[in-house]
Amino acid sequence: MTPTDVHSLVGAYVLDAVDDLERAAFERHVGECPSCRTELDELRETSARMADSTWSVPPPQLKSSVMAAVGRTRQLPPPETIKPERKLRGSRTQRWTLAAAAAVVLAAGTGTTVFAIQDQRVRDQSAIASAAELRQERIQSILASPDLVVRTSPMRGGGKVTVASSATRNASVVALGADSAPQSDQAFQLWSLRGDTATDAGVLAAGEGSAVQVVDGLPGNDGLGVTLEPAGGSKVPTAPLFAKVSLT
Amino acid sequence: MTDHGTARRPDHLSAVPAPPTDVGDLLRAVARGDEAAFTKLYDLVAPRVYGLIRRVLRDPAQAEEVAQEVLVEVWRTAARFDAARGSATAWVFTIAHRRAVDRVRSEQSAADRTLKVGAASVDTPYDEVADEVSGRLERQQVRRCMDDLTELQRQAVTLAYYQGHSYREVAELLNAPLPTVKTRMRDGLIRLRDCLGVEVTA
Repeated sequence: MTPTDVHSLVGAYVLDAVDDLERAAFERHVGECPSCRTELDELRETSARMADSTWSVPPPQLKSSVMAAVGRTRQLPPPETIKPERKLRGSRTQRWTLAAAAAVVLAAGTGTTVFAIQDQRVRDQSAIASAAELRQERIQSILASPDLVVRTSPMRGGGKVTVASSATRNASVVALGADSAPQSDQAFQLWSLRGDTATDAGVLAAGEGSAVQVVDGLPGNDGLGVTLEPAGGSKVPTAPLFAKVSLT
Repeated sequence: MTDHGTARRPDHLSAVPAPPTDVGDLLRAVARGDEAAFTKLYDLVAPRVYGLIRRVLRDPAQAEEVAQEVLVEVWRTAARFDAARGSATAWVFTIAHRRAVDRVRSEQSAADRTLKVGAASVDTPYDEVADEVSGRLERQQVRRCMDDLTELQRQAVTLAYYQGHSYREVAELLNAPLPTVKTRMRDGLIRLRDCLGVEVTA
């Protein structure tokens, strides 16, 4: 997608009418275009005004449930304490790191897990900056391919796997977001599926329930499978399939 | 609350300083862990948070569940609110809308939904959608401004916002090309912004 194409998503973006990958692409774009951010902020403000008309009396028990949950929910610190302003090499790196964190966050879905990931990512940001930059460039180049095909499949136990493939790049971006993370001694493993053959396509970290991975050579296969394996992965997939994304 | 109203309040009540009723002030207090401020914030925004989610999800039980998640999320992430990027109410409703839409999408795989939408598009009465939306618009200003949109702009915006459809689904529902729908969503919101006089001053 060219910057113009990406920017034309601004309306769909504020209406939450884009998919996870488009959202990530748009947020990267806005990170590099301050003037676009003004339009984004104004249109978001505008769309929120549409909620003015949706007034409806909540069930009485909602308030007590919310207050009870609030009583046992720890708040996030202000962003100043986590913003990676000083340690990084340059603004470009900062942006990539944040964009990488954002991409993971967005691909993963929503909720507590998401923020846990974001926080952890940002805390570890110095360490992952270079890796994230490279990876992010890779991901972006794939997502920007004109022949991008996006396929999604739900996961067993909740969550989803999205595969964005470019035949010309001969690579796919796989975004996996499971509602529940594996035990700490287990890991999700990706498999390229062709006919009856499953080939290892990467293992997530043990206990990791969400990730964005680049899988080379995936386009042209029949599909992508996800299984739950012992930490470190297996040579052959262990039944059952947690997700199967058909690519044909 | 007007000065006039405050001035007429009996002394024994006005002796206690009036609590802040601005959502932004409340949110800043909430960010400091002020549960009393959160209670007040709840009273101000919960009906619209619940109403918006219910509008999108249709199912009251699910709406209640998601509304709870959203309101707890507001408490948890209050410190992340950045006044330079918009109002506190918009920040809250952005979280609420996003969560509602996430729930819609997780309910059905994209393919199922597209198929269903495709099948339903034959006989979905769009006037009904528009009527329902405008019929419930209590805020005169928003209603008036929505009327200024072209038919396609209004449908594109409302199908996405109030029903949680992706722009691809909207394109199918309206039998319009994808780029057109993207453009209408943007144009529609820009026209709405100008009509409502929305400004975000950094």
